[in-house]
Amino acid sequence: MNIAWKEIKKNKVRFMILGSIIFLVSFLTFIISGLSNGLSQDNAALIKDLPDGHIYMNSDAEETYNASKIDENLQSKILGDNKEATAFSIQMGFVTDNSDTQHSVAFVTSTGSNLFENVGKGEVIVDSSLKEEGIKVGDKLTNNQFSGAFIVKGFVDKKTFSHAPVAYINTENYKEIYRVSEMQLLFIPGEDKAQSFSGLQSFSNKKFLNTIPSYSAEQLSLNMITWFLVVISGMLFAIFFYMMNVQKIGLYGILKAIGFKTISLFVMMWYQMIFITLIALGISAALSQGFAVIAPKGLPFDLTTEASIQLTFIFITIGFVGATLSGIQIKKVEPLQAIQQGVV
Amino acid sequence: MSLFQIVEVKKTFKNGEVDEQVLKGINLTLKEGEITALVGASGSGKSTILTISAGLQRASEGRLVFEGKNLNEMNQEQIRKIRARQFGFIFQSSHLVPFLTVQDQLMVMLNVSETKLKKHEQKEEVEKLLKIVDMYHRKEAYPPSLSGGEKQRVAIARALIHKPKILFADEPTASLDSRRTKDVMTLIRELTRTMDITTLMVTHDEEMLSYADQIVTMKDGLIQ
Repeated sequence: MNIAWKEIKKNKVRFMILGSIIFLVSFLTFIISGLSNGLSQDNAALIKDLPDGHIYMNSDAEETYNASKIDENLQSKILGDNKEATAFSIQMGFVTDNSDTQHSVAFVTSTGSNLFENVGKGEVIVDSSLKEEGIKVGDKLTNNQFSGAFIVKGFVDKKTFSHAPVAYINTENYKEIYRVSEMQLLFIPGEDKAQSFSGLQSFSNKKFLNTIPSYSAEQLSLNMITWFLVVISGMLFAIFFYMMNVQKIGLYGILKAIGFKTISLFVMMWYQMIFITLIALGISAALSQGFAVIAPKGLPFDLTTEASIQLTFIFITIGFVGATLSGIQIKKVEPLQAIQQGVV
Repeated sequence: MSLFQIVEVKKTFKNGEVDEQVLKGINLTLKEGEITALVGASGSGKSTILTISAGLQRASEGRLVFEGKNLNEMNQEQIRKIRARQFGFIFQSSHLVPFLTVQDQLMVMLNVSETKLKKHEQKEEVEKLLKIVDMYHRKEAYPPSLSGGEKQRVAIARALIHKPKILFADEPTASLDSRRTKDVMTLIRELTRTMDITTLMVTHDEEMLSYADQIVTMKDGLIQ
């Protein structure tokens, strides 16, 4: 007979209060995690969507990608030796549409590769977020540094960099706008270990993200909030179960006196903890997925199933640890003391 | 025939720097199926000898022989098993589990005692005993809705449902009025006789002595 379940059934209000607190904290954590991930995507989807590999920039650039200039001879040699490799450049800029509205974009250009959109001279492929700003296929976009105009050839989904939609342009056009002849970066996919090239510094995709201005600070703040919430949840678990256990000390003593195993009392507490937590987390996960659907389009919110499962697992683990620590008093309960105190 | 022997049991408590001996060498034999009543003034050690015999605390010296084995030499888990399977308890307060119905209180005890009965057999046993203690009509009730006498009748049923060999009763009628005391004692007497259960009972109440087969008077940690 499941004594733990019987207690939940009889003391619904008490367990609902505990469950609702876990729900509120976990829901907040899911939302913050979704925003954190959303901002991260918004800041660096262009890089995060690349396959595993290494990005190389000029050593003299001191980890500032837009100060990097890859020597053309070295670039030709590396691209010749590594068939999958590509050279690319990113610069923040503006395009102006037919109605003279300026749109902030991240211009991206690359040598021929499947990893980036390939566009012809005078063409541009932009992130689909610009659709919502009224840009259509066939529209002309201009830039005051560019002598001609860009014809919008198409859209790509969720390709952003430094919180701006990406605009893929041809290398010749890029060189004209920014008055440069070299590319900034090289990407070699599929490497386990970075190669060593004279004058180049290598970065894994993940490490390269930290060279994006504000990326680290933004992520650090959001991750800290997420982890604070996780830790606070763990403490809440411990405090609530501690309070519940204190109220039940007498009961535990009597149950021990009549022959209950200490481990059975722990199992009873774990069962209740897992039951409440799973329900609270289930509701949190469902609501946060629902939030992703109804959230305004401009709100960078991205809560993946993987992240939800990971958070759920962390919550259950931390709940288990919190409840178990608070349950140490169960082990200490002396049946005789409970009987003599006349509790229950 | 003796079922439980208390041999030269002593118990010393530390009271600050001073050792206080509350049991000074108790010898007592509980005979099978009999009710032994322990009487004496407060502080005479009667509750201490009952709780030591029930395995709820350790004796400082001496032997407690149950079925040929010395309880005082067993580890906690061995004692727990004996408490769960072979002993029954009735306390001053009923000490029922507040979130379990009357019938669930008994079902829990059957589970704790690791009975070999199947589920439906357990239910039959519970119902049978609830009828005997006249609580069947309240089998779905929770403890807070029961009267003092009803609670104690459920506590008696819980103590006996797994057919223990020894029933330990610590002033089982202390919280009841004289009419209910009589009812409860008659019930304990009848059930322990029918089920052949040996009983060790602590009491202050002289009225209850008429239900005992053996009366043991304690004074200052010794049997008189």
